[in-house]
Amino acid sequence: MPADLVTGNHAAGYALSVAAEANRGARGAACGIYPITPQTEIVEYVASFPFTKTRVVPVESEHSAMGVSIGASLAGARAFTASSSNGIAYMVENIMVAGFYRLPIIMVAVNRTLGPPWNIWADQGDTLMLRDFPWIQFYCEDNQEVLDTTLLAFRLGEDRRILLPVLVAMDAFILSHTQMGTELPEQGVIDRYLPPLDLPHRMRHEDPTTLGGLVWPNVAMSLRLEIDEAMSRVPEVFEESRSAFIEGLGRDPGDAVQALFTEDAEKVLVVSGTIATTAREVVRRRRADGERIGLVKIKMFRPFPESAVREACRSARKVGVLDRNYAAGVGGIFWQELRSVFQGAGDGLLIQDYLTGVGGGDVTPAMIDDVLADLEARSEAERPVWMGMGSPAGAG
Amino acid sequence: MVEIRIHGRGGQGGVTLAKIVATSRFLQGQSVQAFGLYAAERSGAPLQAFCRYDDAAIANRNLIYAPDHVVVLDPTLVGPGVASGLKPGGWILINTPEPPETFAEQFPHNRLATVDATSIARDNRLGTRSVPIVNTALAGAVGALLGIALQEIRAALEHLGFRGGNETAAGQAYERVRRAEALQRPPRGVTEATGSEAASSPFVATGRGPSFLEGAGGGLPGIRTGEWATQQPKRQQYVPPCNHVCPAGNDVQGFLHALARDDADEALAILLRTTPFPATCGRVCPAPCMDSCNRIELDGAVNVRQLERFAGDRGRAEVAVSRARPECVAVVGSGPAGLSAAYQLARLGYPVTVHEAGPQIGGLLRTGIPRFRLPEDVLDREVGRVLGLGVRMVTDHPIDRAGLLELSREFDAVLVATGLQELRGLRLGVGNSEAVEQGIDFLDRSHRDEVRVDGEDVVVVGGGNTAMDAARSALRLGANSVRVVYRRTRREMPAIREEIDEALEEGIPIDFLTQPVLLRPGGSGNGAPRSYRLTCRRMELGAPDASGRRRPVEVQDSDFEISCHRLILALGQSPDMSVFPEGTEVREGERLLGLLETPVFAVGDLATNEGTVAGAIGSGRRSALQIHAALNGEHLPITEHARARPDVEIRHDEVIRADAMRLHLFERQPVAEGAHVPPEVRRSTFDEIHMGLPDAGEAQRCLSCGVCNECDLCVTYCPEGVLKRVGHDLVFDSAYCKGCGVCVTECPRNVILMSHL
Repeated sequence: MPADLVTGNHAAGYALSVAAEANRGARGAACGIYPITPQTEIVEYVASFPFTKTRVVPVESEHSAMGVSIGASLAGARAFTASSSNGIAYMVENIMVAGFYRLPIIMVAVNRTLGPPWNIWADQGDTLMLRDFPWIQFYCEDNQEVLDTTLLAFRLGEDRRILLPVLVAMDAFILSHTQMGTELPEQGVIDRYLPPLDLPHRMRHEDPTTLGGLVWPNVAMSLRLEIDEAMSRVPEVFEESRSAFIEGLGRDPGDAVQALFTEDAEKVLVVSGTIATTAREVVRRRRADGERIGLVKIKMFRPFPESAVREACRSARKVGVLDRNYAAGVGGIFWQELRSVFQGAGDGLLIQDYLTGVGGGDVTPAMIDDVLADLEARSEAERPVWMGMGSPAGAG
Repeated sequence: MVEIRIHGRGGQGGVTLAKIVATSRFLQGQSVQAFGLYAAERSGAPLQAFCRYDDAAIANRNLIYAPDHVVVLDPTLVGPGVASGLKPGGWILINTPEPPETFAEQFPHNRLATVDATSIARDNRLGTRSVPIVNTALAGAVGALLGIALQEIRAALEHLGFRGGNETAAGQAYERVRRAEALQRPPRGVTEATGSEAASSPFVATGRGPSFLEGAGGGLPGIRTGEWATQQPKRQQYVPPCNHVCPAGNDVQGFLHALARDDADEALAILLRTTPFPATCGRVCPAPCMDSCNRIELDGAVNVRQLERFAGDRGRAEVAVSRARPECVAVVGSGPAGLSAAYQLARLGYPVTVHEAGPQIGGLLRTGIPRFRLPEDVLDREVGRVLGLGVRMVTDHPIDRAGLLELSREFDAVLVATGLQELRGLRLGVGNSEAVEQGIDFLDRSHRDEVRVDGEDVVVVGGGNTAMDAARSALRLGANSVRVVYRRTRREMPAIREEIDEALEEGIPIDFLTQPVLLRPGGSGNGAPRSYRLTCRRMELGAPDASGRRRPVEVQDSDFEISCHRLILALGQSPDMSVFPEGTEVREGERLLGLLETPVFAVGDLATNEGTVAGAIGSGRRSALQIHAALNGEHLPITEHARARPDVEIRHDEVIRADAMRLHLFERQPVAEGAHVPPEVRRSTFDEIHMGLPDAGEAQRCLSCGVCNECDLCVTYCPEGVLKRVGHDLVFDSAYCKGCGVCVTECPRNVILMSHL
């Protein structure tokens, strides 16, 4: 498989393009695109790709970008887009619509701090604010994972048992603008991996109807339940898609939850995105020194992989969650999820939140050592610790 | 693992250099990363890029705080920051023609290398001469220092599609890089970076920062958009071409601007600064302003002549007069030059006496221009404007050489404005035939109702306004036929274009390239006027003569005859110098010597031979200012750019041409020509034939070239809203102007430019 030195944006643009091209034998593909730093190179890549049967529509805003993709998807085309930060905030109404319409639209999001004040660096707050929408969400730690997960997202979202949109996120600049060696699968391989899309509820011009008109509460509630049932099938279909990926591309796109050294770990760090890479190195070093420490990387955030996380933390007494995001009035959003997973699971498990790299800061090995020192010394969980802000152990 | 930091400027290709080096290792199977450190950089701002490579898979998502080596793309960036966090003993590679030892004192703990990548890039035509792209050359130098084979660098360049000059440049730098390996001072036990550099990075928090809520002096610093600016606008002003060429020195653009606001009074006031004769020039001026008008490039010149007439006819304005001065000035001649000088001197407060040889005031304005072009009441009104300032007139008072000496004793200064009194003749083989007459004399007699040409065939010789006026007057005085013969072509005719058109419309043919050579008496009888035979010769145009016009050359054996009763000569005039002492050289603005202590000046056609009313007005005004300077030592400005405002920072002496205007921002509009009396009606009357403009709307066609006319497009389009009109001033708020340049591109008349801060 050919490899090249590409940025995360390039990897994402490539994956979106070959996936779109792979539907050329069916109803083709389309997307609305609108640029925003640091995602712009994705839409530039897509806009210059020599498609056979894909319409790329430059529009005047993110809201319309998703609007075009919704229209295309409703017509049965493979649909996708990309955005970031305040662009996602502006797109929100249509992001929600895509989910409730059960449209398997794929969005690559480059995680960037929401402003003001203006900031272009990595922070997951933009995509995590979508956490209550009917979207599957993945977080990636390198450019290969961005590419692979984007491809997998099409197979997963378009599966008849799922039919939900999928978001694939990467950290701004740390991935989006960093060149890394990445395998770029050939079109023929993708043609075999992604079956043609046949959207069951697509609109047909020979029988014009409106989809999404007024429904009574009893129907609305039923539709929510239908979404919940689809979400509950995601882990199973994800595993099938992952197996097919391994079979077809000879590479593992990564488990929904990736545990390292957790079998006997007393302390476990829960991480996501590029922090996972750095934390893994720290954990490996400390393991080599005999410390009973483990790592849990959460790749799939929605639906939240409860049982896999519970399983990975089975032997832990203390869990430290590293959050590159902040939910006002709560704390880290991954930490919030962890607490709910272990709600009522028994006494003795300490789950402490560490806000690291919020606003795009560099989460260094030294900072993770500081986190572990705090976790070691702590006898009970408290409010989230703001690393680097001069709070108790987090003097960074 | 090897980590490299690159210092460059936005646009220099530092990130690409990181990618080239990384690619060369990637293609050898190593694990690599290459990235830039991005912020709100714009072209030219300092920027860092990074590259790391390792045999093992790189599991590092952090920035590089302690690089192994540093590359500097731009020698102006060499400073302490270059060595920040750099590991002792690591290379510092600098793009410079200097030897590496130059930097030894500055960077004592590091190995140093230099290469003149800029010259190499220029030699290989990489980038432009002003912005050479140096990264491919530096990639070669990096390879040489870090043990990367040249063919591996070249493989990376080829992989990335950089061929040709890039590969050559890399090879040249690989060979030419100069090294200074010995460390100036061994590092004092420091072998690893301390991490202190990370602590000073904005990507690593080390405590609480400023508050969003506290104001200045503790809170988050508010950014004024002006702080981003690298350039901001300045007001500039050019000289409009109409002002530049006006022989009278009028502020043409200024009076048009007033008329565009429908303010004829203000327009007249502006004109009266430089001329007492706007209604006159508005009828008879050849209007060189219209020939130079930039609007020609769009849809035709602004009809300045008729607008000046409009201001002169419709405006009401008082003439401002300074306090009275004791020095008395004599002016000889009451033509436009003499009256212009008298007018300006009177405005300056001098008692002025004008001596006129003839019985009436006005010189050629009175005697040489027919009433159908310049009605008598118009001239009387404008002469009255001069007299109204208290100028004393002495008519029927010719001044000869002795008289001039007398005046120079009697007055504190004398101006001689006697014009062109010597008329050019033509040798036609006859003596003082009563059939031959000078055009000037014919016009004068016509003016005094002393001539009729009923039933005659009249031939006028010449191509100037006098020829046209004489021909058209003859038509009105009962001629059977009138024709003009001229030895050059229409292109060379000095007459006003419009007057030529009007003569043709009235049925006066012009024989071009025709020279009369012989006049012989023909037959006569039965009381009819005596007939003559005029032999003419065909001409062709040869090389240009001193006037710049092509000289007419006789065509062999081309003679032909015209029958006529009267021949009027309008071949030009020359000054009569007999009033001055023998050998006097006359030049405008130069005081004539040899006439006691009194300043004596020659003005108008006598000094300039320009031959236009406007030229005479300008000469008279300039000479008046020179008299004033001679008598009172005050040098008043010759040019009138009345509206150069204090907020205009840059005043160009240069004339703005059409290509400096943004003509695409203007709509095309037809020229307002004004109405004429139809030719068949006007042929028989001396009533004025042009009826003038009904309103001043034509003034709105003025583009106001190079001079702000407060159109305020800049204010409208300023995206930051930092441009304001305060009174007549344009105010830029530099604290908030980000220097985008929209005001410059939106200004139709180029009165704003961007200035680097």
